[in-house]
Amino acid sequence: MKKLLYLVKRNVKIYFKDKMLFFISLITPLILLVLFMTFLREVYEDSIISMLPEGVTLSKSSLNSFTGGWLFSSILAVSCITVSFCTNIYVMDKINHTLPDFYVSPVKKSILLTSYAIGNFITTFIVCFIVFLISLIYLSIVGFYMSILDILGLLLSLIICVASGSLFSSVIGFFISTQSAMSAVSTLVSSMYGFICGAYMPISQFGVGMQYFVSLLPGTYATVLFRHYYMNGVLNHMNKYDNIPNEVIEVIEKNFDGKMMFFKIEVPLFGTFLVVIISVIILFVIYILLANHKVRSKNNK
Amino acid sequence: MNSIINIVEIKHLKKYYKEVKAVDDISFKIKQGELFAFLGVNGAGKTTTIHIICGILKKDFGEVFIHGFNIDKDLDIIKPLLGIVFQNSVLDAKLSVIDNLRNKAYLYGIDKETVNQRIDYFAKKLDFIDILHRPIDKLSGGQKRRVDVARALMHLPKILILDEPTTGLDPKSRILVWKLINDLRKELKMTVLLTTHYMEEANEANYVVMMDNGKIVCEGTPQELKRQYANDFIYIYKYQNELINLLNNNKINFVFDNKGLKIKFTSSIEIKEFLFKYLSYIEDFEIIKGSMDTVFLNVTGKNLRDE
Repeated sequence: MKKLLYLVKRNVKIYFKDKMLFFISLITPLILLVLFMTFLREVYEDSIISMLPEGVTLSKSSLNSFTGGWLFSSILAVSCITVSFCTNIYVMDKINHTLPDFYVSPVKKSILLTSYAIGNFITTFIVCFIVFLISLIYLSIVGFYMSILDILGLLLSLIICVASGSLFSSVIGFFISTQSAMSAVSTLVSSMYGFICGAYMPISQFGVGMQYFVSLLPGTYATVLFRHYYMNGVLNHMNKYDNIPNEVIEVIEKNFDGKMMFFKIEVPLFGTFLVVIISVIILFVIYILLANHKVRSKNNK
Repeated sequence: MNSIINIVEIKHLKKYYKEVKAVDDISFKIKQGELFAFLGVNGAGKTTTIHIICGILKKDFGEVFIHGFNIDKDLDIIKPLLGIVFQNSVLDAKLSVIDNLRNKAYLYGIDKETVNQRIDYFAKKLDFIDILHRPIDKLSGGQKRRVDVARALMHLPKILILDEPTTGLDPKSRILVWKLINDLRKELKMTVLLTTHYMEEANEANYVVMMDNGKIVCEGTPQELKRQYANDFIYIYKYQNELINLLNNNKINFVFDNKGLKIKFTSSIEIKEFLFKYLSYIEDFEIIKGSMDTVFLNVTGKNLRDE
């Protein structure tokens, strides 16, 4: 157990000491932030306003809180995956030829591999948690309408989604052993994932075929979980204090991915959670199978 | 259990990669406290053998005993007995020297106080006390290598395996590393298994094994090998003219090269007899002893310096 702790500590420390790595892992969230500041916020504001009935106005704080929540739900959804790929110390150790040194040390291979997965989870969670705290600060400035339950729901979603992202990255890590392969996968994940999980633009704006396709991916459900908890409070506020009718609230919620649609069926919140949890379980089983294969493999090279 | 005197015992070791015979039926023994050198060009099978001994690679055939323990059954007992300095650095570039040393030591279950004492000891011996808190990627190649050696020694292994440890090292670092290794061999009776391209290092070994194409081509003490496979020479730079006639008359073969008159001998006794007979005709000369380079060239037909 002590050895596991030392190894996890080492893996976490390597990531935070490497400023370049830290910066690279935040590139996708930063791109999202820039997009939001330059034009996305205006697009979303216009879109919401266009959904309002004639004569009904929305307070500035509700509008800012809604778009801010949408932005941070996107950032968190993407970060769970992109950060976990940048914090894959197992692949880095393979590339740097450090692994043989661990194989000659008195450490079980299963403990070594577990340390990489736990280290990846911790580093990804720390980074995402910082983003989460920033989001709370931002929302408290522009308009804070989240309840304690929303915050707890967000935290729970964060833990599950980070676990999913870390396991996904760890599974892929078994198949990568060169710098070029790692760069290719990281670039692909960073550029593609934001689109397919619905972080860059609402899924409702995709074509029908694409909507059906992304509804098969667990990442989309993770995004919707974040969206739900960030938007729930502000939508209630709009309904109660800005006098926006229920039907309009539902349209806004649907158009901005506050609810998950599987083909044409609305997936309840519990179901959305369940899909992400099942993806974590499946990835965990795959990880254990691959790790077992690695432990029993003929050569350590 | 095999005899403890032979701290490493390899019997009929084989490792094949399809048609390539990386290690092809080799057997050797290393005595406790010995400095044992592996010589060979790249691809000769040295590193493969070392990786099998450490448990990094699985063998195809043969037996490996370390300190009497069979590597197939007792790898967990064997691992703490070994310390290895790999060809490439295994240090974490972004972490400090002290973090790298601590991280390694803790994996061996060494307590904090002992770890700090050993870091202090090795930092003084290898002259890196001033850079303990500096990140590895801010160190010179020589400094990194010294930390690599210290890292392998943190748990005071019974067998230290050095896979070309001083390649690319500056002379100062090389002297420091070898002084520490020799001190530890004396103090702890540490056995050292070395692969190297440096003849000066192989010359210091108690026993040398030369490998080529996965096979052991010759083995023995450096003196035995030189006696068996390398000739001694005398270079005569200044001499009286009668010497040439005498050599011709006595049918002693000689050649002129860019340094001077060169005569080949098969033993030191022959040199002694020659000098006793002809010294009065010679004004300036030099005796060149057969080198490990020559041994390697004569045995394999390959030049180590080309690697």
